Amino acid sequence: MTKAASIARDPPFVIRFGPVGLAQMRVTTLDAAAIHAEVLSRIASAPQLFERTAVCLDLGELEQVPVARDIRLVLDAVKRAGMLPVALARGNEIVDALARELDLPVVAQVRAVSKQSAEMQPKAEPAAPAKPSATMDLDSQGALAQLHHQPVRSGQRVYARNRDLVVTAAVGAGAEVMADGCVHVYGSLRGRALAGARGEITARVFCHEFNAELVSIAGVFRVFETIPKELAGKPVQAWLSGDDLHFARFGSP
Amino acid sequence: MTEIIVVTSGKGGVGKTTTSASIASGLARRGKKVAVIDFDIGLRNLDLIMGCERRVVYDFVNVIQNESTLKQALIKDKRIETLYVLAASQTRDKDALTVEGVRRVLDELIAEGFDYILCDSPAGIEKGAHLAMYYADRAIVVVNPEVSSVRDSDRILGLLASKTQRAEKDETKVKEHLLLTRYSPKRVAAGEMMSVDDVKEILGIEVIGVIPESPDVLAASNAGTPVIMNADSDVARAYEDAVSRLMGDAMPLRFLEEPKKGFFSRLFGG
Repeated sequence: MTKAASIARDPPFVIRFGPVGLAQMRVTTLDAAAIHAEVLSRIASAPQLFERTAVCLDLGELEQVPVARDIRLVLDAVKRAGMLPVALARGNEIVDALARELDLPVVAQVRAVSKQSAEMQPKAEPAAPAKPSATMDLDSQGALAQLHHQPVRSGQRVYARNRDLVVTAAVGAGAEVMADGCVHVYGSLRGRALAGARGEITARVFCHEFNAELVSIAGVFRVFETIPKELAGKPVQAWLSGDDLHFARFGSP
Repeated sequence: MTEIIVVTSGKGGVGKTTTSASIASGLARRGKKVAVIDFDIGLRNLDLIMGCERRVVYDFVNVIQNESTLKQALIKDKRIETLYVLAASQTRDKDALTVEGVRRVLDELIAEGFDYILCDSPAGIEKGAHLAMYYADRAIVVVNPEVSSVRDSDRILGLLASKTQRAEKDETKVKEHLLLTRYSPKRVAAGEMMSVDDVKEILGIEVIGVIPESPDVLAASNAGTPVIMNADSDVARAYEDAVSRLMGDAMPLRFLEEPKKGFFSRLFGG
């Protein structure tokens, strides 16, 4: 069998480039014990959001220049606490050198990823650990949206990981609905809605009756001390354009 | 079949204890065997509203800690044959309550053949409130027509849907009822107070009663008589209606309009 024929019949893998949701951990210290404790408490407070989440370590805030041994301790602390460090965030040449020494990829910052060309992507893909990349694949193959049919009451949080969130009831004041994809609320949105929770800048928020306290897309947010008259109680969508959030009514006026 | 009903609200001072006392009395007057338990350990009030404060020897915490039997701690009401009060302890704190202890007391009451057990919840969302709602079959969420009370009730409804035994065991959910208290039709008309419809729209559950604002409530508390026993009061009629709805009767809401002034008061401008 020729090499060409075997590839044509049955390729051993398919490469796909696409934005990858990746939490960034900007460390301000190399104290592994402190980082370990903090990660544990974060996971305890929001296990859906943080447990076994792929993170990329950002060393940009550190005051002293780290050496590979320090970073290894930090990576180990993060992993032991339950999050999965998979890469270093792009920085200067020191970071590049460290990454090579630690055998980790360097990725551009999450929000910058989609803006830049996809040249950084191939580096990120192979290092992604099995579990997160499996769920990402699920997503790229079109996972169903997460459905929620009960009212989301004040103090409750609903988070749809790697997918859209569809709420068919009201979201109360002081409640929080989040998704890595889009957030749809087919009721009154009186609480907070966060779309693109892990940096997807094309995510949007849609709601049937707009009374939101806060809307955020890929970390860009706006609070509503007073709801603009033309939006109050109306069907509204929000999207991100550049660094600005835009809001508009949709449907017939 | 015993039904366990929690009277809760999140916010303090909205009328939980007044409601517990009146609903319990209303059910008992209709021949049901009713126990009403004060879960507000350390801030015991129900005994005052029920007028039995001088007869409290043993309390809920004593029973839970096996310092007395349930029979010794249950206080029989002097007005209604089938009504019993289990007072809170004034000297302990809320940590004295345990999930197992509460379960055991409820089981004993069920074995005694009670038709209804009302759990008067403390304010807040801490342990006392959590345990008061944990075993509930139904919940009466007491709310005043103002924004902070409505938001706290929304929070409580969220907890009822997630932190009760029914929620944890994935059984049919706790049946939720909304009871508006301190409702003033005049102030609603003036736009100073949220209307029944506003509150209902935000919380999205069925309204079991609207209790008008009235000085009768304070008078009844001072006298140690549940306000439902005052036959001349609109508050009592509104609570009676709520009891009927609780027992499954459909009836229209009353006291949503300002009372019409009588001939004489119109004549003299009163």
